[in-house]
Amino acid sequence: MSSEATSHLTRRSTLSAPGVIAVTGLESFIGSQLVRRLVGRPAGLRVVGLDQRRPMRFPEGARFAKLDLTRPTADGALAEVLAAERVEAVVHAAFRTNPTPDLELDHELETIGSLHVMNACAAAKVKRLVVASSTELYGPWPDNPNFLTERHPLRGHPQAHSVRDRIEMESLLADWSARHPDVEVTVLRPCWIFGPTYWSRVTRYFSLPALAVPLGYDPLMQLVHEEDVVRAFELAALQSCPGIYNLVGSGVLPLSTLLRLADKQTWRLPGPLLHRLAYFPSQGQTGDPPEAFYDYLRYLWVADGRRGWDVFGEPVYSTREAWISFVSSRRMRRYR
Amino acid sequence: MSDDASPKGAITSERPDEERAAELAAVREALEGLRRELQLRFGGGAAEPAGERSLPNAELFADLRRSLATLGMSERSGEVDEFGMDEVVVRRARPVLQFLYDRYWRVDLAGAEHLPEKGPCLLVANRSGLLPYDGLIITHTVEQLRSPAARPRFFVADWLMTLPFAQPYLARLGGVRACRENAERLLGDGHFVVVFPEGMKGAAKVFRDRYRLQRFGRGGVIRVALETGVPVVPIGIVGAEEAHPVLFKWTPPGRVLPFVPVTPTFPLLGPLGALPLPTKWMVRIGAPLELSELGPEAARDELLLSRLTEDLRAEIQALVDTGLREREGVWS
Repeated sequence: MSSEATSHLTRRSTLSAPGVIAVTGLESFIGSQLVRRLVGRPAGLRVVGLDQRRPMRFPEGARFAKLDLTRPTADGALAEVLAAERVEAVVHAAFRTNPTPDLELDHELETIGSLHVMNACAAAKVKRLVVASSTELYGPWPDNPNFLTERHPLRGHPQAHSVRDRIEMESLLADWSARHPDVEVTVLRPCWIFGPTYWSRVTRYFSLPALAVPLGYDPLMQLVHEEDVVRAFELAALQSCPGIYNLVGSGVLPLSTLLRLADKQTWRLPGPLLHRLAYFPSQGQTGDPPEAFYDYLRYLWVADGRRGWDVFGEPVYSTREAWISFVSSRRMRRYR
Repeated sequence: MSDDASPKGAITSERPDEERAAELAAVREALEGLRRELQLRFGGGAAEPAGERSLPNAELFADLRRSLATLGMSERSGEVDEFGMDEVVVRRARPVLQFLYDRYWRVDLAGAEHLPEKGPCLLVANRSGLLPYDGLIITHTVEQLRSPAARPRFFVADWLMTLPFAQPYLARLGGVRACRENAERLLGDGHFVVVFPEGMKGAAKVFRDRYRLQRFGRGGVIRVALETGVPVVPIGIVGAEEAHPVLFKWTPPGRVLPFVPVTPTFPLLGPLGALPLPTKWMVRIGAPLELSELGPEAARDELLLSRLTEDLRAEIQALVDTGLREREGVWS
């Protein structure tokens, strides 16, 4: 398929062989920041950005190609682009930062879209595939060990549809990777990302001046700073490090300490009341029931980041520093 | 925010009542003025007279809300370690544990020389009573014998470690959910780890079965010890069984708790009945088991595992029996 598809492409001869990286999902934080950082690198590296439409601020040095992963023919279209640009590494970051109520479309994008990316990579003989996942996939469970290693099964949350889709994506990826041993597959699982510019439903929730949280629970929380995440993705795209890695900040803090550091008004409500009263702030636009969010504030889902730190270096920001960076950027009242 | 500055500080008891009342009124007025000023500046100009808007019990309500928000977490510091242990909570609990150790249960310790100088080390003990007093007492014993820095972590059964309200407290005191991953990580970091391989079967014994050790899980302790090569120190505890003598178990519908223990005082006396009885406790530390020469490959030999586990159980049973013989009576 690819040889026939690439024959009509005109730019083929002008492409230099080494150092071409494609990034999918330019609207996502990881995708947009990664393109910016890769373009800024001094070495002769070429970057191809792929998304449905060209973002408003797309760096000059990068090439843009249009790609809609929710279309059934996306794999062929992507394979053409990858082969034409002689892409060697693909960073797949086209995932929803915030799940939408359109469960079908989310599934098409996150699971089937990822399958398209995998198949296109195989067809275009890409050497490296980096996929953005999340430690949310381990799921908040009362019987989680204190530190979840990369080998722990992904149990997710039964009611969080985006988590469900991504678990399916990871299992498809594992199968695909077994069938294509010549492609290096790196899966990075960041925990909740916090920082001055990162914006998601989680940071929106924690930006509220008064928060309702589950009564009787005070789990240890773990955060990672946006810069540490982008740096790790950059390294994963540039160097060979196949495998699965948790991307987390060092240290853990109880939820109550985080809220106190931000000087939040906190309402501790028993579960049923919390889920009925505080539906909107948590899950208003995600299409999931409130448990899908509040269970992450109820049970432990702290991941063991030591493998990732060995490869990508110690995180610059600890959990506390990531939180303080977020809190002070949102001009909340006081922090210690 | 200005409401928090209570006027009580300005009052001294020697002064006449009128003067005091006048001063109080002045302070209140100043505070009210400040509040109005702040509201004018920062409250988006919605400054109506405060008296009309606020409820009569607004302060009481605010207090209540504040204490609800910090329920169970008012006394802790900003930093916790990886497993959620909080130095401030531990420091505050230390005098209470010291009192329980010296005065209340008058712990009689023997075999302290068997305790390794430093971790990693598995301390294996018999489990009794629903609440993890035995774990806390062993923790305190080791801390006294070694140093506060060597404070062990004690394993707590799932049902208690995931129980709402209990979980934050136990984690801050050094309790860790009993599972293999946690054991491996703690031992890897060089900690003393207190484990109770009987688990729920030990905690849920009725009084009739006291000091009879139950089956030791599925050999997980020995397996972890073989794989990590740490010494295993058996510990027998006597006295914890009588602190909460469970006459029989009642299983309520709903399964919030695995069962409700019925003791001579609980639930008869309500929460008061949940206090442990002042029995005499004996802690007997045995000689460490030598497993290191077997090597990590031995962990795959299931028959060896079960034999070693049974040896360990017999060892702890012997320590408990020694303690029982040496104890003059339940109360003395």
